[in-house]
Amino acid sequence: MATALTFKDFAGQKAMWCPGCGDFAVLRALQEACARLALPPHRIVLVSGIGCSGKITSYFSSYGFHVHHGRTLPIATGIALANRDLAVIAAGGDGDGYGIGLNHLIHAIRRDVDLTYVVMDNGVYGNTKGQTSPTTVAGTITPSSPSGAVEEPVHPLRLALAAGITYLAQGVSSDVPQLVRLIAGGIEHRGFALINVLSPCPTYDRLRTYQWWRARLVNLDEEPSYRPDSRELAVEAVSSRDASIVGLVYRAPGRPFQSRLPRFRPSPLASERLAPDGERARRILDARYAV
Amino acid sequence: MMPAFTKGNEAIAESAIRAGLRAYFGYPVTPQSELPEYLARRLPERGGVFLQAESEIAAINMVYGAGARVMISTSGPGFSLMQEGLSYLVGAEVPCVVVDMMRGGPGLGNIAPAQGDYFQATKSAGHGDGRLLVLAPWSVQEACDLTRVAFDLADRYRNPVAILGDGLLGQMMEPVVLPAPVEPARDVAWATTGAGSGPARVITSLDLEPEALEARNRRLQEKYRRAQQEVRWEGYRLDDADVAVVAYGISARIARTAVDRARDEGVAAGLVRPITLFPFPSQAVRDVASRVRIVLVTELSAGQMVEDVRLAADGRVPVRFYGRFGGMVSTPPEILDQIEQAASEVRAA
Ligand SMILES: Cc1ncc(C[n+]2csc(CCOP(=O)(O)OP(=O)(O)O)c2C)c(N)n1
Repeated sequence: MATALTFKDFAGQKAMWCPGCGDFAVLRALQEACARLALPPHRIVLVSGIGCSGKITSYFSSYGFHVHHGRTLPIATGIALANRDLAVIAAGGDGDGYGIGLNHLIHAIRRDVDLTYVVMDNGVYGNTKGQTSPTTVAGTITPSSPSGAVEEPVHPLRLALAAGITYLAQGVSSDVPQLVRLIAGGIEHRGFALINVLSPCPTYDRLRTYQWWRARLVNLDEEPSYRPDSRELAVEAVSSRDASIVGLVYRAPGRPFQSRLPRFRPSPLASERLAPDGERARRILDARYAV
Repeated sequence: MMPAFTKGNEAIAESAIRAGLRAYFGYPVTPQSELPEYLARRLPERGGVFLQAESEIAAINMVYGAGARVMISTSGPGFSLMQEGLSYLVGAEVPCVVVDMMRGGPGLGNIAPAQGDYFQATKSAGHGDGRLLVLAPWSVQEACDLTRVAFDLADRYRNPVAILGDGLLGQMMEPVVLPAPVEPARDVAWATTGAGSGPARVITSLDLEPEALEARNRRLQEKYRRAQQEVRWEGYRLDDADVAVVAYGISARIARTAVDRARDEGVAAGLVRPITLFPFPSQAVRDVASRVRIVLVTELSAGQMVEDVRLAADGRVPVRFYGRFGGMVSTPPEILDQIEQAASEVRAA
């Protein structure tokens, strides 16, 4: 007899992140979200990039693709278009998604591919030992910016909204219940969903700790006047305070790429017979030659 | 000058500065991150530009635009991403120095030492018919010295030059005597710095007319023929050798120890160490192959340079291969065992 899923059904190898790493919370939230949606492990494929964050495919139990640096989204797109009965979730770091892989993000949003993208945004390149990442705050001293980072950071929420995203959220590793809601909402959303998670790196970022975020973050989900279906409010929120908000920023009806493809059939290509069978082939030919 | 105890990656970085490095573009990847991190600290102090790009693709194209002594460094996955850019640099005859500290592959592989990028470095710079000149140091001192050579060759031949090391060479520390600083030529034809009364400089690799593109390719091939004079290699205990081991970089270090042990045991073994991998010391290998009775190639790969050795030996003697890969490093006893097997093979014949 089937029993209700719990996060334990998604337990993979023991997670080997540094003690205090924000990615533990993301893993737990993803497990809870899948359990809440009653999505069994064999209905999910998790695609992760390269970095500390990318190890998540080993720690989460489902189908997994641990792909190359920055390329989660094209691979996830390929899966979503071919194996159509799987829930496709991509996950990776800020370097992976907003640095080397940024162009793919814009195109995945533009297509509104039906998949969920969780970015573990720690503001550093954790895996290569603490260099600047695209979301490093200007002025930060790192091994690759010994006199302080010169560049302005990328603003992922602004970029995503400008590109036409249909589900946009930001969470923080200190609030797992909210992360669960945001991720579950993203998986349920028909279209492309981005959940940016502020995920502290206690090893290489001494500044942006859990306490630091707690003192700064405003929770949109608790603001009575905030309506995530309002593009205007969303634009205002991400323009003036994108790194200090959490919650569901924007949600609009998706127009999933899949549903716009000509003659798209929902059954997975992997189990489809693409060639017409003899009977159908004969009917097509009969019609063509009007016999 | 007193030798200073230095990491391979940092010795290359400091040597590059002393060769007149003006710009460095790169992207972090293990096991070479000490190189960019050293330059992040030291290059701006000496008036140069350091930039960590958003990817290796961006970085190699920043290199393409620099028009001054410029370097980029990486390891396997990043080297793959640079191939398109390198092809354009080769086509447009723009020099640069590219360092690849090889790690285990394919794919993400691991970060342990390997020599699996030999084909990628020596056979083709990306698509098309271009080549990199390739230097393979075996010690921190030689890495430092060849960095200077790399910049000079790059400018002389207007071609990217690769320094092919591995994770071990990049990470290990050895005493190094650094070269004195030089000031490179400034007025170079590949920089957009004005062409006097001549036509405006347009850096391109596009020739829609097949005749013109063939002419460009002939020029490149002629250049690679001229570069034959840059061949470097080293022989060790070869005079009366029956078994010649051929190895480069860190493998050659391991092989040298094995050769000494073989000699202690009465096996006449010697070592050929290619230092330039392109141009490959084919003539030297051929000469040695004519004198010995068997050749043993050893690499930290499934067998890549061995193909060039076989071509050079041209059937003169049997060529055997022994490789470890995936980040596994062979040991002197393993190589000694292979030398003994090779020796007994020819003794039996
Ligand atoms: C093409 C390529 N370049 C570089 C690397 C080395 N590398 C591994 S992880 C990483 C960045 C990690 O940063 P981020 O994506 O922010 O993830 P984190 O480790 O912080 O979770 C880099 C540059 C690589 N694996 N592949």
